[in-house]
Amino acid sequence: MNPFWPVISLVFLALLVFLPRYGLRVRLARWREQQRREQVEDALKYLLDREQEGSHPTPEALSGALGLSRAATFRLLTRMEGQGLIETRGHAIHLTAEGERWALHIVRAHRLWERYLADEARMPLGKVHSEAHRREHHLTPDELDELEAALGHPSHDPHGDPIPARDGTLPHAEGTPLTTWPTDRPARIVHLEDEPPLAYQQILAVGLRLGQTVRLLEKTPQRYTLSDGEREYLLAPAVAANVHVAPVADEEHPPTDAIPLSELPHGREAEVVTVDRAVQGFTRRRFLDLGLTPGARVTPELANFFGDPRAYRVRGTLIALRNEQAARIWVRPATTDDHR
Amino acid sequence: MNRDGRWQKGKDVRAIRSHPEISREKRNKHVMQKQQPTPEDVIAKAAELRGTLSSGFRDEIVKSLYSEAERIARRAVKHIGERRYDLDQKIDRLVTSPIFGLPIMLLLLAAIIWVTVIGANVPSDLIARALFWVEEQAAGLFDAWGLPWWVTGFVWHGVWRGLAWVVSVMLPPMAIFFPMFTILEDLGYLPRVAFNLDFLFKKAGAHGKQALTMAMGFGCNAAGVVATRVIDSPRERLIAILTNNFVPCNGRFPTLIMLGTVFVAAAFPPAFASFVAAGSVVAVVVIGVGFTFLMSWLLSRTILKGEASAFTLELPPYRRPNILRILYTSLIDRTLFVLWRAIQTAAPAGAVIWILANIHLGDASLAQHIADFLDPFGYLLGLDGVILLAYIIAIPANEIVVPTMLMVYMGTGMMTDLPALSELKTLLVDIHGWTMLTAVNLMLFALLHNPCATAILTIYKETNSKKWAALSVVITLGTAFLVTFLTATVARLLGWA
Repeated sequence: MNPFWPVISLVFLALLVFLPRYGLRVRLARWREQQRREQVEDALKYLLDREQEGSHPTPEALSGALGLSRAATFRLLTRMEGQGLIETRGHAIHLTAEGERWALHIVRAHRLWERYLADEARMPLGKVHSEAHRREHHLTPDELDELEAALGHPSHDPHGDPIPARDGTLPHAEGTPLTTWPTDRPARIVHLEDEPPLAYQQILAVGLRLGQTVRLLEKTPQRYTLSDGEREYLLAPAVAANVHVAPVADEEHPPTDAIPLSELPHGREAEVVTVDRAVQGFTRRRFLDLGLTPGARVTPELANFFGDPRAYRVRGTLIALRNEQAARIWVRPATTDDHR
Repeated sequence: MNRDGRWQKGKDVRAIRSHPEISREKRNKHVMQKQQPTPEDVIAKAAELRGTLSSGFRDEIVKSLYSEAERIARRAVKHIGERRYDLDQKIDRLVTSPIFGLPIMLLLLAAIIWVTVIGANVPSDLIARALFWVEEQAAGLFDAWGLPWWVTGFVWHGVWRGLAWVVSVMLPPMAIFFPMFTILEDLGYLPRVAFNLDFLFKKAGAHGKQALTMAMGFGCNAAGVVATRVIDSPRERLIAILTNNFVPCNGRFPTLIMLGTVFVAAAFPPAFASFVAAGSVVAVVVIGVGFTFLMSWLLSRTILKGEASAFTLELPPYRRPNILRILYTSLIDRTLFVLWRAIQTAAPAGAVIWILANIHLGDASLAQHIADFLDPFGYLLGLDGVILLAYIIAIPANEIVVPTMLMVYMGTGMMTDLPALSELKTLLVDIHGWTMLTAVNLMLFALLHNPCATAILTIYKETNSKKWAALSVVITLGTAFLVTFLTATVARLLGWA
């Protein structure tokens, strides 16, 4: 064997570990720095959330929420106090002005990312939160401004949480939990709490959507029964507490004689009433660009042999849509079948 | 808007007039104009007003654009009679019907491939003869001038021969395939294919229009990658780009056809041979389409996570194709574009091939040494070192894989044309130990391996990212290695090879 081999391997190994900027040592240090920052930011977010609910958590509550040991929580709090982000008064942790500013920045990043992932990247809603959580730590306020402008200055994230402005003003979240809502009064779903994920998954699985108008039919200790006029939705009370509703404004009354475009019978003409409010961003722009604006006349003309997608005649052109997209467009069938 | 602007200006003017320094010059109109709101003011005002907009204002903007367009159209466009959609509807019902839809599609695809392969034979042969004749004459001339053998060899038997090969093998099929493809496009048939196949793409998390880019990929994967521009969602477009290579292009058909003819069809009576050969090629194509779906599905569940998104597809009315435009787009835009990129990469490849075949270390050429070195790895994949070597040097263009392989097998110093089929079989099977496994795995490898340099370059240009270009290579090459390794191992364990 060549006597130089061990030397060459050693040199190579040393380079791999100690190379400035690319070496493993530097990478490890950078990674740990990043971990620490993310921990601080997660803690800030949790504290902000609590403060908005009017409480100031104890270190024990924080360690429980972040899943940290007591010792790690203590180290974290010491570090944050050193950075001037928090103050401990008695046994309660308070955010300083600086801490609140930073926390709002993270919340803004998180909600803008959620908006982007849901509208432009069109990720499933259930996966948006964890992905946004991963990405929220990496943008500067200027980059967030760019993201916000590119998204058209959205006011709410896809779960209905308000997005803070850059200067830190956070619109008050509207709506009350479904658990405090009277039965039989129409309500608009304004917020679906995405934490804990398990409860959120259940809400999504049941099929409730943001912006939907529902009526609480029955409230028992075992279950809540909702109806949107077509279907009934069953929720466990613990889950129902995560659904926030607000009174229905007059102009938001669902068009009672409207049906989803996907359910329009073949060859029957109809008029577009509106595109579902939950459809935002890229998909909505696309619909509008194709001429599916309120008032446009549309007729299903062609179906794939599985019935999905179907092609619709709109403004003289034939446009194919998948059924799940067509289901988001509300149309009013023409009263007389005069076009035949 | 206009009103707001004027109001803003008036307010500013009042502010300016009340300003002591400006009031002295207030009669100077020039200065007055300079005091109009700065862009920063306008942006600040816009940000302030933004909060007052209702959530549906974008809908309103588009709606008003449409009504304005309708108003203009009503005034400017006169309808003489009514455009009848009856014939269109009949054709649509036929080509999307459950019974005839898919068969019509497959028949058209098979017909186009068949016509391309058959029709390209004669012109390919003519071009090859002409270009090789030039090579011979030029080489003779160089020899007569007394230039050293390696100058002649490098320039004419290396670079020129590489070029000549790529041009003669590539140009005729493309010049036939692309116009036919463009006719279908111009007719309006292709969007119907996307419409028919969308249910499959939906399951894979991809876009129905990927069917169009795949069809384009039969002509050339680089052109297929460019064609993905029709997919407007970035996620689904990336899926289409990364999987386009699983559709075999024109450049890979000769390899597939040669293998189909020599190994598969030979087992059948001569009368059926050409059909069996075609059938085996079609089988490979179907496997490739299967891998496209599989890989799209995997991608949309891993690195390109997301929902099958807004599928909006315009189905234009059927039109009579415009021959001139077809010739222009298919020949200039597509054929020459692709050919030019291929030439850029084929010339250096020709040079490398010649060098590897003509520099001898000990008693064998460099090419032979590398092939020997690669042999154990090739064995694992059910191939051999020469095949792998041919694929490595032939990254610039798949057309030169077979000639390079034959060059190394026959020990000649330049890329070599196919001998007669019987000789070919003797050469491969009896001398170099090819088995059915080698043939099948080579077909699979030709189908699944990395994109050619032209396609990689195109992927880089289209995505503007080295990462995605590299990933396209990793994915395809990884699949090719894995699949051939598995078939080889399974075949050996079962004692088939």
